[in-house]
Amino acid sequence: MPQTVTASLIKIITVLHEPDGYIDLILYNPSIAKNAGPGQFVMMKAAPVNDPILPRPFDIVDTFPREGTFRLLIKINGRGTALMNSLKPGDDVFITGPLGKPITDFSFSSCAVLFRGCGAAAVLMFIREAKKRGITVYGIASAASSDKLVCKSEISALCDEYLVATDDGSLGLQALGTEVLKNIVEGEGVDRIYSCGGGPFYLPYLMEVQDRLPVYLFLESYMGCGVGHCHGCAVPKKSRPGDPVQYTLVCQEGPLYKLDEVEDPCQIYQ
Amino acid sequence: MPDLSVTFAGITFKNPVVPASGTWEPLDAPDTGLAMSELGAVVNKTIFKEPRAGNPPPRIWETASGMLNAIGIPSAGADDFIKKKLPKIRKHADKVIVSIAGYTADEFAWLAKKIEQTGMADMIELNLSCPNIESHTSWSTDPALLAQAIVAVKKAVKLPVIAKLSPNVTDIAEMCLVSESSGADALTLVNTFRGMAIDIKVKKPALGNIFGGLSGPAIKPLALYAVYTAYERVKIPIIGMGGIASWQDALEFILAGATLVGIGMYTFVNPLCMRHVISGLSNYCSEQNIEKLSDCIGKAHPAT
Ligand SMILES: Cc1cc2nc3c(=O)[nH]c(=O)nc-3n(C[C@H](O)[C@H](O)[C@H](O)COP(=O)(O)OP(=O)(O)OC[C@H]3O[C@@H](n4cnc5c(N)ncnc54)[C@H](O)[C@@H]3O)c2cc1C
Ligand SMILES: Cc1cc2nc3c(=O)[nH]c(=O)nc-3n(C[C@H](O)[C@H](O)[C@H](O)COP(=O)(O)O)c2cc1C
Ligand code: FES
Repeated sequence: MPQTVTASLIKIITVLHEPDGYIDLILYNPSIAKNAGPGQFVMMKAAPVNDPILPRPFDIVDTFPREGTFRLLIKINGRGTALMNSLKPGDDVFITGPLGKPITDFSFSSCAVLFRGCGAAAVLMFIREAKKRGITVYGIASAASSDKLVCKSEISALCDEYLVATDDGSLGLQALGTEVLKNIVEGEGVDRIYSCGGGPFYLPYLMEVQDRLPVYLFLESYMGCGVGHCHGCAVPKKSRPGDPVQYTLVCQEGPLYKLDEVEDPCQIYQ
Repeated sequence: MPDLSVTFAGITFKNPVVPASGTWEPLDAPDTGLAMSELGAVVNKTIFKEPRAGNPPPRIWETASGMLNAIGIPSAGADDFIKKKLPKIRKHADKVIVSIAGYTADEFAWLAKKIEQTGMADMIELNLSCPNIESHTSWSTDPALLAQAIVAVKKAVKLPVIAKLSPNVTDIAEMCLVSESSGADALTLVNTFRGMAIDIKVKKPALGNIFGGLSGPAIKPLALYAVYTAYERVKIPIIGMGGIASWQDALEFILAGATLVGIGMYTFVNPLCMRHVISGLSNYCSEQNIEKLSDCIGKAHPAT
């Protein structure tokens, strides 16, 4: 039987506006703090208004079961997230979660985790879980510039190696994250690659390298409910030529997919 | 405790709140705390005879106080529904309304009969907004086709039959009359309004299917108009829906003439919306000393 998911007003404990253009929230809900696993997300609606109307999906960055709290990191983007920019400690937001399939497969001994921008939000708990099991983790953070790197201290403290690629060279290598990844794959070597964010920039290399080792993606898609009622988040599964197309619901079977499980991720992976 | 029960096409529902077809999947989605047994009835996502994969993404797009969808009614088909889902819905739900669709009138009738034979449905809802394959127009936008589908189903089954109509017509009350005279026992008003959006970032239609259906608070005044005008013209009872987000919205539909009310996309906004509507209606009746909510049905119309 499916798990029980919290759907209620939840209090915000702290709000940080860093880095610029992001809000970093701690929220109080002991059930989510206790039950959320790596790879899971919540749907959040900041205000009881009808415009914008839909809740927005955000990864659960981290949980603090003893305090009964969890953390979200939100990039201010369009109309819904712009409203969230004015949230203060003590405000209530409507949250449904934890949602999506928690990651439970840790049957490998090393991995490279590539993430760009708020992709960091999806990978922190996953990296911590991998480290608990003694897995060697190479973290590769990529961003436009050094001031856009999020969760830098937390993720670098967890990883065996933490490498940075910036578009402007303000920190680490001035290169695409995939160039740093390539060096690791061809140098030390890893069992698996996990990738979140970066979209079309990362895909050409990921598509190429998946012949050699398994590549996993944290997928994003437009979500209505985030739960499984609307079928809005569907993306096409890889099918053999001539076979009828089948879809997978990202909110239920994802957000993590093996790259060769889904069709044409260039179109859906943003 | 005020009495929220209503009698609809000869069947008594313990309260008037039902999910709009295709917007609440209690068997597939994780449990968010709302039980099937709390609702007046459970309505499934429309099934066809054969499995359907649904439309390519993007399937949804947020609009001002609403959303467009072009989901494409994915389902595993009639056999899977009857074997795996219907028995569980029957076990937990107070009343069961099974939503079906077909590409031909014969298919509608065949599927209705198949559902009736399970003995697990209380009513059948015909989703008449899907296209007829021979004409490529939707059943409920052409009076002759509409009559054809309803007559075929009524010949095949004894269960009460609800015609769910599309609002994309000049005069929906006219289509309600056609449904009534073809033997429909009740009406569901309304399905989504046809619309579209353009994604200016890529200068292309936002939905994979180009066109979609608009739902949510944006359509509430239009849906309410459909229910109010239909109530004036037909005698068969109505399930009113379109943009209901609160008990106040639900009450508007009841006052306009709806016996049951459906909640669709607002379940996406708040998975407990249907529970809030039920408790809100109950509190309203208590505060207003209304003994039976059913006394409110159609009360916005001038007394005759
Ligand atoms: C599983 C998942 C986890 C996510 N985790 C995070 C996170 O931890 N931190 C973070 O900052 N962002 C995250 N995102 C992206 C985030 O949901 C979008 O940035 C946000 O929905 C945009 O809303 P808006 O109001 O700013 O934009 P608007 O343009 O107003 O949004 C309009 C509609 O499009 C949808 N939408 C727009 N952009 C995206 C997108 N990139 N992905 C999915 N839907 C989108 C919105 O949800 C809304 O329904 C995640 C997305 C998914 C699917
Ligand atoms: C995502 C989605 C899926 C839907 N699927 C169906 C369906 O399978 N069958 C059907 O008869 N109506 C379907 N509808 C229409 C709803 O049942 C309802 O008539 C309409 O959305 C208006 O109600 P609302 O504004 O409360 O959503 C769907 C609506 C949405 C938003
Ligand atoms: S977002 Fe509604 S089913 Fe996935």
